[in-house]
Amino acid sequence: MASWRWFHQLGSPKWFYQKSASWLPWLWVATAILFAFGLYYSLWNSPVDYQQGNSVRIMYIHVPVAALSMIGYLAMAICAIIGLVWKMKMAFMVTRAIAPVGAAMTFLALFTGSMWGIPTWGTWWEWDARLTSELLLLFLYLGFIALHSSFADRSKADRSAAVLAIVGAINVPIIYGSVKWWNTLHQAYSVTKRGAIDPQMQTPLFIMIGAFYLLFAILVIVRLRLEIMSREGKSQWLQAEVLANRSVGVKS
Amino acid sequence: MSETASFGLKGRGITISRSEQILLEHVDLNFKAGTITHLFGENGTGKTSLMRALAGLLPLDSGSVFWNGYETSHPEANFTQDLLFLAHNLAMKHELSITENLQFYSALRGQKASKSKLLSVANELDIETLLDRHFAELSAGQQHKVSLCRLFLEKAKLWILDEPFVNLDARTRDWLSSQMMQFAASGGVVIFTSHQAIEGLKIHQQISLAHQTDEVLD
Amino acid sequence: MFFTLLKRELMLARRNWVAILIPLFFFVMVVVLFPFAISPEAEFLQKIAPGVIWVAALLATLLSLDLFYRSDYSDGALEQLLLMASPTQVALAKIVAHWLMTGLPLVLVSPLLAGLMQLNYGLPQGILEANQTPILMLSLLLGTPTLCLLGAIGISLSLAASRNGILVAVMILPLYVPILIFGSATITASLENNGYNAQLAILGALLLFALALTPFATGRALKIAVS
Repeated sequence: MASWRWFHQLGSPKWFYQKSASWLPWLWVATAILFAFGLYYSLWNSPVDYQQGNSVRIMYIHVPVAALSMIGYLAMAICAIIGLVWKMKMAFMVTRAIAPVGAAMTFLALFTGSMWGIPTWGTWWEWDARLTSELLLLFLYLGFIALHSSFADRSKADRSAAVLAIVGAINVPIIYGSVKWWNTLHQAYSVTKRGAIDPQMQTPLFIMIGAFYLLFAILVIVRLRLEIMSREGKSQWLQAEVLANRSVGVKS
Repeated sequence: MSETASFGLKGRGITISRSEQILLEHVDLNFKAGTITHLFGENGTGKTSLMRALAGLLPLDSGSVFWNGYETSHPEANFTQDLLFLAHNLAMKHELSITENLQFYSALRGQKASKSKLLSVANELDIETLLDRHFAELSAGQQHKVSLCRLFLEKAKLWILDEPFVNLDARTRDWLSSQMMQFAASGGVVIFTSHQAIEGLKIHQQISLAHQTDEVLD
Repeated sequence: MFFTLLKRELMLARRNWVAILIPLFFFVMVVVLFPFAISPEAEFLQKIAPGVIWVAALLATLLSLDLFYRSDYSDGALEQLLLMASPTQVALAKIVAHWLMTGLPLVLVSPLLAGLMQLNYGLPQGILEANQTPILMLSLLLGTPTLCLLGAIGISLSLAASRNGILVAVMILPLYVPILIFGSATITASLENNGYNAQLAILGALLLFALALTPFATGRALKIAVS
């Protein structure tokens, strides 16, 4: 029983709201340090690609955001299942918190991918399998956000959007598989294959991946806190919390 | 617990909310077999929400509803067979005839609404000449009467009726009251809402719903 | 129980037969626009025909969803159905009726479009194997049920939402991409004298997969919509 405590605690908006306030500064510091190291290595202290030159450095942003765009959707779907099965409101709030952050990551992945395309493909858009899947993933995120914002009743919005997130997550591998197959069908269009990665590029890439993961976590936590505030606005603990913070702010 | 005590509909620790507004909090309700319950209260106090929650349409925030001792979702409870819920909207298809509409709902329960049965209830409600007409061609009062026919045609053990007396003429009101009392006398459970008091209807239980004060929750 | 539900859906659809024909007209009209927009040249039309016909079928399916779900939601009948029957059964009856009344007619009318789009241009006349029309029909026969299945989830989720028409399209179109890819690829492969069995098999697999999961998901979505 005791081992499930964390699960119940995470399910309590009050517990999360109070605890996360103390996590955030540490997370910000850790993220700043990782970004400082990561950017230094990836922009200055890493080898230039013999084919792509300096443009390979886009990878240090592209790869982390692309990974996060997919993990974000998966996380959303898992929270959706938890919300629907255990009727946990907090899980629904997390899906709502992740959606725009995940969509932003997907957009960044598309943007950096296109930028990378200009020197390597000679055009900012190529119907490359990964880029195309990423575009469809962005549509899935937008569908979720559009559905969630179309309800007057929040509980209906939560549950409906959760169903869509699960259906979308089941479809992601199918979409990716078919787009990949479709892409090989039109081989003529795909220009470059991005080869295996140089070990010297690995370290800065891992640091950047860590940095972006932390940034993602921070953004989700901040959005989740806002979500809690908007939903639990009437509850006593939150009003007390906000008042306490305000008086601190006045003193300092 | 004796056998008879568990018959009927029971709600234990029910919490219902609508659009983040708590309507009922940890409420126990008991609707015994053979009784008629009148739910009343101002608009917005959650009468309809309570009915929909008891019927299993609106998810409960907490608590559970039992039918004859079993949770309503339990197959042994046979709740879907026993429940007849008439909502504010009449749930009749405009493109179908009265007969088709009524026969479909009986068929969905695995029962058959025979022509003679249809005719006899239609006779009582003065709509026997309309049976082959499309639902859309009827007046509002007639449409309402058609939906009331379901009470007579479908064999159920629990009636949940949302404002069944609204816009009824005196004769139909009496007919409905007598149907409800007959149904209760044969062991059925009736739960209904009404703004007005119904003359001649013997009510066993009255439940009044009030606005929840805007108390802060935690 | 299922057949009672299905019978009702079909009866309602028959009473609304004009509304049922509209998606079919739409299907034909959209395809007819392409020669005007691009070129009536036969070689050209033949090349784009698979894609154009498939996109039109996809949009026609999407637009016809309303007929089978919306009115039951707004007049309260859906609530009654869900009180008396299991949500999955209600969903499956609607999906099957939707396909029988709109998906199947699309398949049946597709030979006309094959002709309009010069799908058989330049192919040896009179030899049955060379004719592309049956392959078009077969791909639609395997693909349109999946379109109906996925569309059912979208429309059910949007029933209680405020802006519903365009919302369904935004939610569901990305999910339609795999069917679009394999549906039109079947015909393209056949036109290029390549094997197309794999594409058909994948369309069939997608159909079975969707059939196993979507009625349940749609049932859940309908339940949420009436809650």
